[in-house]
Amino acid sequence: MRNNNLRIKIGKMVLKNPVIVSSGTFGFGEEFEDFFDLNQLGAVVSKGISLKPMVGNPPPRIFETEGGLINSIGLQNPGLQEFIRNKLPYYRRLKTHLIVNIFGNTQTEYIELAKRLEGVRGISGLEMNISCPNIKKGGIVFGSDPRMAFHLIRKVRKATTSTLIVKLSPNVTDIASIAKSVEEGGADAVSLVNTFKAMAINIHSKKPEVGNIIGGLSGPAIKPIALRMVWEAHQAIKIPIIGMGGIMKAEDAIEFILAGASAIQMGTANLINPRAAIETIQGIKKYLVQNKIDRIQTLIGAFG
Amino acid sequence: MPSSSGRTSKRFMPFQIDGTVVQNRQIKSVYFILGIHCPPIANLIQPGQFIMLKISEDHSPLLRRPFSVYKTYPENHPAKEKRGCLFICYKEVGKGTHKMTTLQKGKILNLIGPLGNGFTPPPLPSSANIILIGGGVGIVSVYPFAEAFNHLKLFVFIGGKTKKDILCVEDFKKLNSKIFVSTENGSLGFRGTVVDLFLSQRKIFTEDKKYYLYACGPMPMLKALAGKIKSRNFIAQASLEARMGCGFGACWGCVIKTNHSQTPYQRVCKEGPVFSFKDICWD
Ligand SMILES: Cc1cc2nc3c(=O)[nH]c(=O)nc-3n(C[C@H](O)[C@H](O)[C@H](O)COP(=O)(O)OP(=O)(O)OC[C@H]3O[C@@H](n4cnc5c(N)ncnc54)[C@H](O)[C@@H]3O)c2cc1C
Ligand SMILES: Cc1cc2nc3c(=O)[nH]c(=O)nc-3n(C[C@H](O)[C@H](O)[C@H](O)COP(=O)(O)O)c2cc1C
Ligand code: FES
Repeated sequence: MRNNNLRIKIGKMVLKNPVIVSSGTFGFGEEFEDFFDLNQLGAVVSKGISLKPMVGNPPPRIFETEGGLINSIGLQNPGLQEFIRNKLPYYRRLKTHLIVNIFGNTQTEYIELAKRLEGVRGISGLEMNISCPNIKKGGIVFGSDPRMAFHLIRKVRKATTSTLIVKLSPNVTDIASIAKSVEEGGADAVSLVNTFKAMAINIHSKKPEVGNIIGGLSGPAIKPIALRMVWEAHQAIKIPIIGMGGIMKAEDAIEFILAGASAIQMGTANLINPRAAIETIQGIKKYLVQNKIDRIQTLIGAFG
Repeated sequence: MPSSSGRTSKRFMPFQIDGTVVQNRQIKSVYFILGIHCPPIANLIQPGQFIMLKISEDHSPLLRRPFSVYKTYPENHPAKEKRGCLFICYKEVGKGTHKMTTLQKGKILNLIGPLGNGFTPPPLPSSANIILIGGGVGIVSVYPFAEAFNHLKLFVFIGGKTKKDILCVEDFKKLNSKIFVSTENGSLGFRGTVVDLFLSQRKIFTEDKKYYLYACGPMPMLKALAGKIKSRNFIAQASLEARMGCGFGACWGCVIKTNHSQTPYQRVCKEGPVFSFKDICWD
């Protein structure tokens, strides 16, 4: 078997394998270096970065539900300048792709982020988190309105030559139409899903279990819904899809690839088993050998 | 041994590693001791540091659970059956700890550790007076520190709801310590909280001396204590608890509000779990 059989192309990036670690669940990379060699990963996505530092939400920030995790971290991050100065140097030393996850409260903020990251050494791609409210448009989430998403992506597209990935919110009625408008806006790829809006109440204290009342649900509990959304997006668009939502092991990853994902991301799994991504890469390799599949490419969307 | 300068840490890199259950026994009511053979962690872990335990292979519970290490035995320990083992003392409070009670000898568990920053010892050479305060199961987090500083004079305050919640008294009796006990219902020792107990003995601690105070327990207890030890002769640290997503600094789920101006929310798992009382925002 050739050793490039796991290779996958997303925009301008050639990944050595389709396994990526997701935003907000992999710190700034360094937290994992004691557990495995990060260079083996297809790519790493940074924690979400905004123009200005964000202090995040009050605790408690996490709560475990059946097979899932509700988080309300509130996008705590040190801001763009501090990221470039103090976090990027570490990523630059890695022999894997860095995708910087960005988010803003206005169109202008997204454009500014893209511009200021343009040409910065060590960055292979941008992942736009559009699950944030547009404060200029009464707080409607960018990713829930196809027209708003289209205009936003078109503007950011002009501001960057990097591979542009748009991360979709699953909190929408029609994922296919959002995916389509993002494609038309000029994105190189979409990634989905972000977390599902969720909550939990403590019946003894009668208080919400996370400080922000509403949080985002991730983990195995969301996998079947995320998988369905990936398949719906796959039927609607031609640009590559990066699938995620509850992927814990190689079998889950292969399911997403069969549903139409070109690559996958793992989030919650990293927190529980820091080696989850590496074990998934090994598992995918094994699956290909056992099933005598030459290239992972041939698996994409190959179900039914 | 903790170093003489600053934090306990000499930070060792954490391991993700399997260990074997050597013992899991109920000590009283809802309290249990779990022994795990895991030499790499047992050799390195410092007082106040913790481990993240994967209780079951399936998703129930999904996340690992954090536990302080109560006792450890290095590989050259005279008692052969304890060599390379670490012991945690846990309270059955929910889904995960309930499942822990069913773990049998021989069971393989996955651990991550040593994690976090432990207690900062008093500067050496020292004849410092040490005060340890533990509420409920919190006392097990400070016990290893007492063992390491047995040559110093220790004042130990142990509190719980009832006498069934009083742990480690026998352990402390073996050390060079003066022990005070309180229960909220008065079933053992002083009647009241451990903070009330500490205040009742306040006259022992004179203003002209320095006291190194180490505390662990529920947040309301620590908060009550914080208001009482503001005077300069107390150099006080607390080991905090928070729900944890990962335990090694990746998710920012475990934060506590501190007085840090730029980053008020600091991670209990990474910057903690031991913090200086004066750095925490107690309101
Ligand atoms: C650094 C650290 C060291 C700890 N050391 C010990 C120890 O030595 N012995 C011991 O018995 N316990 C210790 N704990 C607390 C222990 O982790 C929790 O009791 C345990 O995670 C509860 O799991 P569960 O599934 O049984 O409870 P759940 O079903 O998850 O919850 C039951 C209750 O416990 C609370 N809880 C859940 N997780 C935590 C947590 N991480 N910290 C505090 N409360 C929590 C919940 O809010 C809820 O009220 C420690 C916690 C931390 C952060
Ligand atoms: C603790 C935590 C923090 C997250 N932070 C971000 C973030 O900053 N930006 C983002 O786009 N997604 C964030 N996510 C969403 C994940 O990247 C991922 O989309 C989601 O968790 C679903 O995948 P999973 O089920 O594999 O975790 C976060 C998720 C978790 C659990
Ligand atoms: S538990 Fe994940 S950062 Fe502390």
